[in-house]
Amino acid sequence: MRDEAVIVGAEIAAGHDGAAELLVTLRYPNGGRAQVAIDAEAGFALMRNCGVSDLSGLEGQPWRRMLEGAETCSMS
Amino acid sequence: MFDVLITGGRIVDGTGATARHGNVAIRGGRIAAVGDVTGEAARTIDAAGKVVAPGFIDPHTHFDVQLLWDGAARPALEHGLTTIVPGNCSLSLAPLKAADRSRVVGMFQQIEEMPPEAFTEAFEWCWEDFAGYREAVARHLSINVAPLVGHSVIRLWVMGEAAQQRAATSDEIAAMQDLLRACLDAGAVGLSTSFVDIDENGRPVPSRFAQFAELDALCAVLGEWGGRMLQCVPEFYAVDLTIARIDQLAELSLRHGIPTTFSPLFDSTQAPDNAPRAIARVEEQFARGARVWPQMQTRPIDISFSLLRPSLFFARLPRWVRVLRQPLEARLASLTDPETVERMVADLGPDGGERMMGGLVVRGGDAAPQAYVGRTLSEIARERSQLPARALIDISLENGLDVAFLSAAQGHESTERIGPMLAHPLMHIGASDGGAHIASFATYGDTGYLFSEFVRKAGALTLEQAVRKITSETADIWGLKDRGRLQPGKAADVVVFDDRTIGRGEERAVFDLPGEGMRYVRDAVGIDAVLVNGEVAWAGGRYADARSGVFCN
Repeated sequence: MRDEAVIVGAEIAAGHDGAAELLVTLRYPNGGRAQVAIDAEAGFALMRNCGVSDLSGLEGQPWRRMLEGAETCSMS
Repeated sequence: MFDVLITGGRIVDGTGATARHGNVAIRGGRIAAVGDVTGEAARTIDAAGKVVAPGFIDPHTHFDVQLLWDGAARPALEHGLTTIVPGNCSLSLAPLKAADRSRVVGMFQQIEEMPPEAFTEAFEWCWEDFAGYREAVARHLSINVAPLVGHSVIRLWVMGEAAQQRAATSDEIAAMQDLLRACLDAGAVGLSTSFVDIDENGRPVPSRFAQFAELDALCAVLGEWGGRMLQCVPEFYAVDLTIARIDQLAELSLRHGIPTTFSPLFDSTQAPDNAPRAIARVEEQFARGARVWPQMQTRPIDISFSLLRPSLFFARLPRWVRVLRQPLEARLASLTDPETVERMVADLGPDGGERMMGGLVVRGGDAAPQAYVGRTLSEIARERSQLPARALIDISLENGLDVAFLSAAQGHESTERIGPMLAHPLMHIGASDGGAHIASFATYGDTGYLFSEFVRKAGALTLEQAVRKITSETADIWGLKDRGRLQPGKAADVVVFDDRTIGRGEERAVFDLPGEGMRYVRDAVGIDAVLVNGEVAWAGGRYADARSGVFCN
């Protein structure tokens, strides 16, 4: 097991502002899991950072790849 | 002599009591009598076969700007709403110094998607303080308004540019407290804050720079004023953070004796534990004596996109992702290259996208091809003798890529799961966002949808429970003592509707904003009449020239 959280899944979800978002599931070193939704800009940035163009390629990537672009959140 | 007598209806009085037949008499803007009452009246409304209920209350809207030229907050009023709460999510239009207007306009445009003309042509800026905004809005109100004041604008008033740069000093916090007191004195029903929102440049709004001590000090003022509301937008995209905010709100509630509410709370079948976990934490905090009301909307969430911008809708189609995230010129070149398009279509499999794209609906809008609006891609593709994926690309190209497609009910969509949550005694039905996101989807008709989907279709709530949720319960949560019940002496906010048909109309695009700006709306269905403070504001499918709305708290 790695010593930092990793992405273990990503699904397309509906954001509250009507845009498609990514619902990313993280697994922590202690086995705990958490989910976070990121918007299109952050989602594409994540895929670009990971060098993938398919969601399945995100599995196993370190959570830090999410940081770039993660500041852009949907408005309420 | 009564002003109005509503006769022969089934009275659902907002308390949750069983419906009973009777009349409702109104005099001087107040309920005069309910039940077996007769007498002369200047106006009689025949409600035979219909439900007579208190006017509905919407606790989460962004009508702050629209109210300056449209005192009915159309089409909110025709859906039976008689009281709205604007000023949510840390943003209100007062207090606001003239020098800071453009900055706050940018924030509002980010939320509301109003065209620039709405801020330059539709009204005259004639206020800076909260009392001035109230005066500007109050002169033509048809709907009641219970406004929040935004934490971000309070911060901006006191700190200027630094409001989006740093924490406040103790002197600045004291100045914010004084300003909040002035706003409450001028009619604000509470304070709104946000831990999520951004401005038009992607920067966090001012409230997000506040430390806990600042929010604590402002909540102390809400406590001084008899316990006014704190509304907050938590980090709803991560349930663990939302739960942490629930705990924080609970501390503020207990410490200052105030109610708090957070919005939105969504259900997700993809993350089915999220909403139940948040609700469980709310239950724990209520058991401690705190008041932390989660707001949940009734309507499902649709996904909308066009090929003008990359959408994660295509995130499982690598070739589409590569093509669509190119700059516009390169994207157009790819989409007009026969070989590339053939491969893109082939990626959808043997059905050519029927399963994934066939159900998409072409939306109305500025450049929408009218012959296709409201129809499914499957139907249109058949008509064009094309596969759905190819039709999507071609229709987009034929219209400069500016064609929006809608994938309905892709989130917060499980009636079976959401019904019991809405019926939960600690769930506050709200979060409509009325007046916001106007160019993305319609935020109107959530109350109609409550009755059509969760009362009639699913039976998750009785008629009386549903009415209570959006009338007396909302009034009690917000301390609106005069609203929410059909009882003698209360304000005569009344809606007459057919419980067999009440619902929401289809979403449609209209161009009725200043500058002919576009927005999506839904018409009311099954609403016969809406009275605000005793005057008929909407009836027979038309707005009356009533100006009976007030600021209420």
